[in-house]
Amino acid sequence: MSHFLDRLTFFRKNVGEFSNGHGIVTNENRGWEEGYRARWQHDKVVRSTHGVNCTGSCSWKIHVKGGIVTWETQQTDYPRTRPDMPNHEPRGCSRGASYSWYLYSGNRLKYPMIRKRLLRLWREARETKSPVEAWKSIAQDPEKSRDYKSRRGLGGFVRASWDEATEIVAAANAHTIKQYGPDRIAGFSPIPAMSMVSYAAGTRYLSLLGGTCMSFYDWYCDLPPSSPQTWGEQTDVPESADWYNSSFLILWGSNVPQTRTPDAHFYTEVRYKGAKSVVVTPDYSEASKFADLWLSPKQGTDAALAMAMGHVIMREFHLDRHSDYFQDYCRKYTDMPMLVQLKEKDGVYVSDRLLRASDFEDGLGQENNAEWKTVAYDRKSGAMVVPRGSIGFRWGDPGKWNLEDKDAEGRDIELRLTSLYDKDDVAQVAFPYFGNRKHDYFTGTDHPDTLVRNVPVTRVELADGTEVLAATVFDLFAGNYGVDRGLGGENVAESYDDDVPYTPAWQERITGVPRDHAITVARAFAENADKTQGKSMVIVGAGLNHWYHMDMIYRGIINMLVMCGCVGQSGGGWSHYVGQEKLRPQTGWTNLAFALDWARPPRHMNSTSYWYAHTDQWRYEKLPVSEILSPTAPEGDWTDYSLIDFNVRAERMGWLPSAPQLDRNPLHIAGEAEKAGKEVPDYLAEKLKAGDINFACEDPDNPVNWPRNLFVWRSNLLGSSGKGHEYFLKHLLGTQHGVQGKDLGETGEQKPKEVAWHDEAPEGKLDLLVTLDFRMSTTCLYSDVVLPTATWYEKNDLNTSDMHPFIHPLSAAVDPVWESRTDWDIYKSIARKFSEIAPEVLGVEKDTVLVPILHDSPGELAQAMDVKEWKKGEVDPIPGKTMPAIKVIERDYPNVYKRFTALGPLMEQAGNGGKGIAWDTKEEVDYLRRLNGTVVEEGPTKGLARIETDIGACEVVMSLAPETNGEVAVKSWESLGKQTGRDHTHLAVPREDDKIRYRDIQAQPRKIISSPIWSGLESEKVSYSASYTNVHELIPWRTLSGRQQLYQDHAWMRAFGEQLCVYRPPIDTKSIKAHLDNEVESNGNPQIALNFITPHQKWGIHSTYTDNLLMLTLSRGGPIVWISERDAQKAGIEDNDWIEAYNANGALTARAVVSQRVKEGMALMYHAQEKIVNVPGSEITGTRGGIHNSVTRTVVKPTHMIGGYAQQSYGFNYYGTVGSNRDEFIVVRKMKVVDWLDDPESPTLVQDGQQAAE
Amino acid sequence: MQTYKALAALLSYPGENLIGAARGGEIEAVLTAEGLLDGKCIAALKPLLQELAEWDQMDLEERYVDLFDRSRSRSLHLFEHVHGESRDRGQAMVDLRTMYAQAGLEIADNELPDFLPLYLEYLSTLGAEQARQRLGQPIHVVAAVGERLKRRGSSYAAVFQALEYLSEAKADRGELDVLLAEGDDDPNDKARLDKTWAEEPVTFGPQAPGTGGNDCGRIKQIAERIAAAKGRGKDAGQSSARG
Repeated sequence: MSHFLDRLTFFRKNVGEFSNGHGIVTNENRGWEEGYRARWQHDKVVRSTHGVNCTGSCSWKIHVKGGIVTWETQQTDYPRTRPDMPNHEPRGCSRGASYSWYLYSGNRLKYPMIRKRLLRLWREARETKSPVEAWKSIAQDPEKSRDYKSRRGLGGFVRASWDEATEIVAAANAHTIKQYGPDRIAGFSPIPAMSMVSYAAGTRYLSLLGGTCMSFYDWYCDLPPSSPQTWGEQTDVPESADWYNSSFLILWGSNVPQTRTPDAHFYTEVRYKGAKSVVVTPDYSEASKFADLWLSPKQGTDAALAMAMGHVIMREFHLDRHSDYFQDYCRKYTDMPMLVQLKEKDGVYVSDRLLRASDFEDGLGQENNAEWKTVAYDRKSGAMVVPRGSIGFRWGDPGKWNLEDKDAEGRDIELRLTSLYDKDDVAQVAFPYFGNRKHDYFTGTDHPDTLVRNVPVTRVELADGTEVLAATVFDLFAGNYGVDRGLGGENVAESYDDDVPYTPAWQERITGVPRDHAITVARAFAENADKTQGKSMVIVGAGLNHWYHMDMIYRGIINMLVMCGCVGQSGGGWSHYVGQEKLRPQTGWTNLAFALDWARPPRHMNSTSYWYAHTDQWRYEKLPVSEILSPTAPEGDWTDYSLIDFNVRAERMGWLPSAPQLDRNPLHIAGEAEKAGKEVPDYLAEKLKAGDINFACEDPDNPVNWPRNLFVWRSNLLGSSGKGHEYFLKHLLGTQHGVQGKDLGETGEQKPKEVAWHDEAPEGKLDLLVTLDFRMSTTCLYSDVVLPTATWYEKNDLNTSDMHPFIHPLSAAVDPVWESRTDWDIYKSIARKFSEIAPEVLGVEKDTVLVPILHDSPGELAQAMDVKEWKKGEVDPIPGKTMPAIKVIERDYPNVYKRFTALGPLMEQAGNGGKGIAWDTKEEVDYLRRLNGTVVEEGPTKGLARIETDIGACEVVMSLAPETNGEVAVKSWESLGKQTGRDHTHLAVPREDDKIRYRDIQAQPRKIISSPIWSGLESEKVSYSASYTNVHELIPWRTLSGRQQLYQDHAWMRAFGEQLCVYRPPIDTKSIKAHLDNEVESNGNPQIALNFITPHQKWGIHSTYTDNLLMLTLSRGGPIVWISERDAQKAGIEDNDWIEAYNANGALTARAVVSQRVKEGMALMYHAQEKIVNVPGSEITGTRGGIHNSVTRTVVKPTHMIGGYAQQSYGFNYYGTVGSNRDEFIVVRKMKVVDWLDDPESPTLVQDGQQAAE
Repeated sequence: MQTYKALAALLSYPGENLIGAARGGEIEAVLTAEGLLDGKCIAALKPLLQELAEWDQMDLEERYVDLFDRSRSRSLHLFEHVHGESRDRGQAMVDLRTMYAQAGLEIADNELPDFLPLYLEYLSTLGAEQARQRLGQPIHVVAAVGERLKRRGSSYAAVFQALEYLSEAKADRGELDVLLAEGDDDPNDKARLDKTWAEEPVTFGPQAPGTGGNDCGRIKQIAERIAAAKGRGKDAGQSSARG
């Protein structure tokens, strides 16, 4: 028997094992898979993302089944970038993955809502009155308006129809414009990049009215003023993929894995490539776990650490040994060779302003803007030269504004960095020292107020024949670091162990970081940069930028980067990722957003100054100027003024914008001027000088100067970003509040000089607060009218990020549910209603607009030398020079709706542009006519391109912007080339025919096109990296010297001692004294004082997702404050106890998380946890416990108010005061009674103090 | 079955139609005429009917918003209580829509399929027996919301009592307690909260429980967890209102 028939020919038996036993064949029932497959069935998948406050811009697949969004998953089809780079995908995090919950959640806003008391008043009034009359009868009746204002935040909403809701809003707007002026209407919405059309909808409406668009980046304190100061750029950073090109990464105050979750993989991946990483955070953050070395400085003292590292780099790489790369870089790309005049003060010298061509005989041959051209010594000719690239060349010297090694005439030059080797003399220069100022909770040193050091100088003869001493920026810079350059003298260190500012030993006392760690990191950082030509990078974050003296921390780090030639190099540089979220097609979008197609300029306002004034936080100011003034300040009456006085002066000089602008209706001024037979600017300047008309900022508590209507959309202003929350409630809204402190009137302290004081502070300034949201946020709770908006899966919009180079859509996977509408449709319907009812009181009006002196405009060359104030009579008020520019704009109120929905004629007449570059855009407008269709209805917009839908609006943005339209990119590079005299078009020509449309990005995210609006390139060769074109295309930075500006020479910078970077300890906000002195009733539990830190969180993006049970479950299910084990012990607090934190600003209640993660002396409360979830009553205020901002108050800084001075000129979200809040202290104690107030379902709990103390 | 329709109306936003019907006695007439509810139920509804007839409309609206629109624990959307944030919610709504479609009904209003008044309206199109049966499916949610309203002393509680009366299935007390405990979170009950948030301690390595002393046993551990989760899921499935 052969068994032939027994054997299988065509089959074999199940083999059991294979691959040497590594594999095994099993035969289970796979029926369970069916259930899984059915679960993933869907009708369609739509690409969208998450929209306002997250930089992620992650691509998500939204699954729709039967018209219902069922879930979302990460998309994985990003275009490839460059060879050798890891993929971008998948992007996303747990927060985004839980978003679809919001659509159908019980928290969703479903209908327009109005507070009942207001609606009742309205309906009564409307029975007999027209809409505008009806609103007037309510707003002007103190009884009636108090009736509904006092109920803000206390519920009592009813549903309303869209018709009724929009009518109230439109009527309030029309009345306010008529009665007070359009600038009394304001709108707040942040971060347009993440849903730019939704943002633009509101600001387009406001701008057509002449209303005020409010900034956000500065208010959030995410704007790093050091960036405009140094680079003349708001913020420009490498994309996250560029981390992968780095070989030494410092994460400093940034928690990448937690707050940049979708990008963190590049950080992980580059470490596999061998990159070293140092993490600098006071707490043991998630990022700390990635570190080769973790440094833990005391919070807020980072500048000391940075200065010590700079000391090491200066010593080892610029003095003891010269790195050729570093020296060349500093000579070519920084102001280090420029000469600074020294002035004698008290027997020593103080560094003054940079010398200018105009200081010399014949202006060194410069006729154009000689006052704005910086000067250096040229080794080749042995003479003073005017190197190209300074700001004076930018305006009026075509072809000469570049960074070539040439002087104005085109001769080759080689600038001298230091005069050490051919000095004329050695001068004793006094550098201010602030590290000795007393602070109860920060360690200082006992060095003197001024540190006198020897600096090599050159004698210079000026035009008037006087001889002065001048030093190069480099020599002052080195002197500032306290390194001994062989010149001897005091206050210089020979060794790192010397106790001299700024040695590693010195910083050890202040920061607690061991000196050898500081030395090691500095050395490794610089060594890497030297070997790789700049591939050392620092990722910085909110942990640094939210301090009052954030400039010093940032400039300390920027100094390190610049000294090591890292800025502008792939894999190197300064990476600030805080709330920036770059709006890439900016120059397309600004036209849509600010209605520049109809009128220019729009009204922009810096929010920090606005809220500081209008929520009356200035009335409680505890920081006198004397506490921050420099001992080296120029002579002057600096300390006569309080902080708000500086702001008022800045507004009057045209440095900062104003809102409202004047103490009267701006619609009346043009008429008055005409009657007087004068041009409006002349008339107004005259009246201001005579004091007949005044700036509104001089009397913010006067009812004529109050903001009256406020729109909030895409924002949770009161629940998340309102620093000084309780002051908002008290003064702006006039409702229940928890303000604990006394104002200056009550305490009898120094009152402002330039601002009128009213003993009685106003409460309830705002007549109407309108909020658009998809969920009932804290801001909605306090609003009068709440309008339900579409979620991020229910609208069409655009989204770009600084973290990756793609433009991404938001798409309507389903129509907005219930009664909600997209932001675009909401504002469109308000505009329509407004146009219907406005003609009752408004027609075509002439609106007089004050415009601050703007950066990137020829006006930025305003006052070159000294600050002269017209109000003091030092100079005449000259619009656009010594005061704001004055423009008269025609408003067509009956046609607001028509204008809203059509692309206006100014695009063709005035062209397009941005950042000082302008181009003709007729072709694109024509293209849009064909793409969107033209208006066929009769009227003022007939024949113009339509902007009817949100997609139509997207097309406007993308067609006009160089980043999404290759033809425009080429045009804009050509335009810049005329200024620089160099050909840059090669950067865009390969993509000239690319036109990215909305449907393209729905199919797949698209790479943007390189444009001169940004300083990096999007190419096949390099990752996007900031300042790349400055270094590689020799385009100047938009600063005074045209280079990276390390020396800040404005008079106000000098007054506050910040010419160069110095260590400044946190300010004393004086907000806990009364509580520590037991002026507040004790509840029997011990109190401790802690520094209040509010980092970005893990379980939400700001306040979004914090009401989502999934995320609440991952954290503790409500507001929490992290404290250290030692502090908890001191205060008898155990983990999960209810605690209360309070100070003069207010109080908040939360649970304690007791953790080793936290450093002793600080408390962490994640930003932002809302009042709407699990917040019991406060024992201090007797009302519901506040949010994290209940214990904060904004304190403004005078150096951020400088304007009209090259890079320190105003721009929207570019420069201005910032809302810092980390210097704040709180008193913490365990709560005794946890009372849920009027909630019958939650009984009061008494926490046993004894038990916890055991 | 106009009784269902009448109860649906009572749970709707108090608009002019509803107020008119309350004033005209239309609702009470239907309830009495159909006789599905006993006298006790109808008597219990009287305070609400009276309030609807007599109160100022805006006060009624304000109360409704506070009770139902602004609260998750008293939401009238059934799946808010059953599925919450879970991804099952979408699919459950799709199923419900399919059920309506099979009955020849299409949702015309801006509402979700799980909105209780909408569901009641659907029941009103069915035969008495089927309606009683179908009402039983989400009855524990109805009972839970009713219980919460009762605690607040709200006259709306009577509508939920009437629904419980009508339903064939009665709310299982155990299930109800689970639901009440979940939605009605009491942040003061520290012991319970701690239990809720407590994570099981994780042990790694071969000694970990469920590994059987074998490194690869970790897979077994995961499988056990999945099995446990499946058990829970089954219960949830039974209690959901799937058609």
